[in-house]
Amino acid sequence: MLALTTVVGWGAGVSAHRTDEYLQAARLGIEPGRAHVELDLTPGTALAEGVLAAVDSNRDGVLSADEQSTFATVVLSALALEADGIRVTLRLDAADFPEAASVRRGEGAIRLRATAILPRLSVGLHQLVFRNMYHQDRSAYLANALVPESDRVAVMAQRRDSDQRELRIDFAVRETAATSRAALLFGAGIAAATVLLELRRRTSRAV
Amino acid sequence: MNRQRFLDAAIGTFVVLSVVATTGLAQRPATSSTASHPSAAEATASIVAAAQAVLKTLDEAGRAKVQFPFEGPQKTKWSNLPSGIFKREGVRLADLTPAQRTAVDRLLSTAFSKDGYRKVTEIMRGDEVLRKAEGDGRGGPPGGGGRAGGRGSGGGVIFGGDEYYLAFLGTPSAASPWMLQYGGHHLAINLTMAGSEATMAPSLPAAQPATYTFEGRTVRPLGNENDKAFALINALNDQQRKQAVLDYRVSDLVLGPGQDGRTIQPEGIKASALPAAQQAMLLDLAREWAGIQNEAFAEARMAEITANLAETYFAWSGPTTNGSAAYFRIQGPTLVIEYAPQRGVDHIHTIYRDPTNDYGAKFTKK
Repeated sequence: MLALTTVVGWGAGVSAHRTDEYLQAARLGIEPGRAHVELDLTPGTALAEGVLAAVDSNRDGVLSADEQSTFATVVLSALALEADGIRVTLRLDAADFPEAASVRRGEGAIRLRATAILPRLSVGLHQLVFRNMYHQDRSAYLANALVPESDRVAVMAQRRDSDQRELRIDFAVRETAATSRAALLFGAGIAAATVLLELRRRTSRAV
Repeated sequence: MNRQRFLDAAIGTFVVLSVVATTGLAQRPATSSTASHPSAAEATASIVAAAQAVLKTLDEAGRAKVQFPFEGPQKTKWSNLPSGIFKREGVRLADLTPAQRTAVDRLLSTAFSKDGYRKVTEIMRGDEVLRKAEGDGRGGPPGGGGRAGGRGSGGGVIFGGDEYYLAFLGTPSAASPWMLQYGGHHLAINLTMAGSEATMAPSLPAAQPATYTFEGRTVRPLGNENDKAFALINALNDQQRKQAVLDYRVSDLVLGPGQDGRTIQPEGIKASALPAAQQAMLLDLAREWAGIQNEAFAEARMAEITANLAETYFAWSGPTTNGSAAYFRIQGPTLVIEYAPQRGVDHIHTIYRDPTNDYGAKFTKK
């Protein structure tokens, strides 16, 4: 639980830092079978009270675990993720809330982590589309694909709308090393069998 | 045809190496020569001695304040934000005696290159200009206010030339790893030393105001970064520029404070698609960050960046006319640089990282 404490304001000159914008920085990781979304929400000082009030639904001055979870669910419901045109469900993995005071100072970032199970993707090209429709009023967005940890996935291209509310990631799924080896062994086996059959045929003819 | 390509490549490589060497030399003090530069071992010894000299000036309480374990949470605690919003640890310049401040200043001038030291002091001086503008209510941004003494309006927020902190993580030594952490509003330097190796990644040089007047001259702490980047984007032809310029707005650093260990997918134009002269311009731009640390280490770092140049990308977002606010990013296997103007040209955030060696991870794994 986080207690809401005294408001600490700061100078308007230094506040050339973002004050009246809500920075929403998303990073997307694609791995075989799943996609991860990291979303860091940093409200500017002018928006902080509103954001805190949205979390503290019972207005008791404490951001309880339930309130944090409810807030995270609301945010996730405003995110959309599609794999090859099929909507996939984002499930919350973690929600880290900073001290309310640091949110008021414009420093604190609410960090949400979510995962979506992707439909079975064949080897080849695919597309993941991420849309962020949370708090569209006075938000600044960042959206980036992370370099995949698995060498089975490669990001080929990223396309965004001008505000980065939407990110389209073209990616390729490659064969696993085991699949490649099996295919290679299978091919080699077929070739060897063909050669042996041909030799046998010639030997039979000679006899 | 193949022979011609080979010759083109050879000429290109020669031109890049020549320009890199030339720009490197150009940044060195006019009175020095290559031979006069200290070796990495000599530079390490000087920096360690300067750090030990700082420790000697401090009393027991001061040493307790400045010293942290090398492996600990302090390593990643840095920010561009002012005190009061972000709590820094270490000794604060404002609390030091003149002799102690002189020792700190000597350490900084030893640890950084001549140009790096100039940049750091200009960033700090700029913060003092901002403090005075706000505190005195002269020419601050609209709505600006604040109290004198570096405390912004509303209380709690402190910045200005005295509000910078020094910390040592580990014991300054020529043998074992340690780190010099120095920062305040718009500045975070994390210099990790490990024997005769050193890295300054991650660090965050920023500036507000980006242009000010000091002793009758115009000062632009990050002016070279801005001008060299605009020169590069304008040196690209239409086709190259189409690849380099992103068609979306980037409003802030993507890999700023708190984003350690993340690698985003690179975008923009690959340096391998650029002719030698533009590759040299890109390297010269990267040197503005890599060259902040002592020349003895900066040269090795530039060699590493040059070796990975073919896999390095340059991306741009915003107008291409100098004087406009535009974001750019240089990203390679061992390098991330971002330059992100904050709502105009007078407030700049930048970040410098090495995804393979932030906080000297590569040195300390050996």
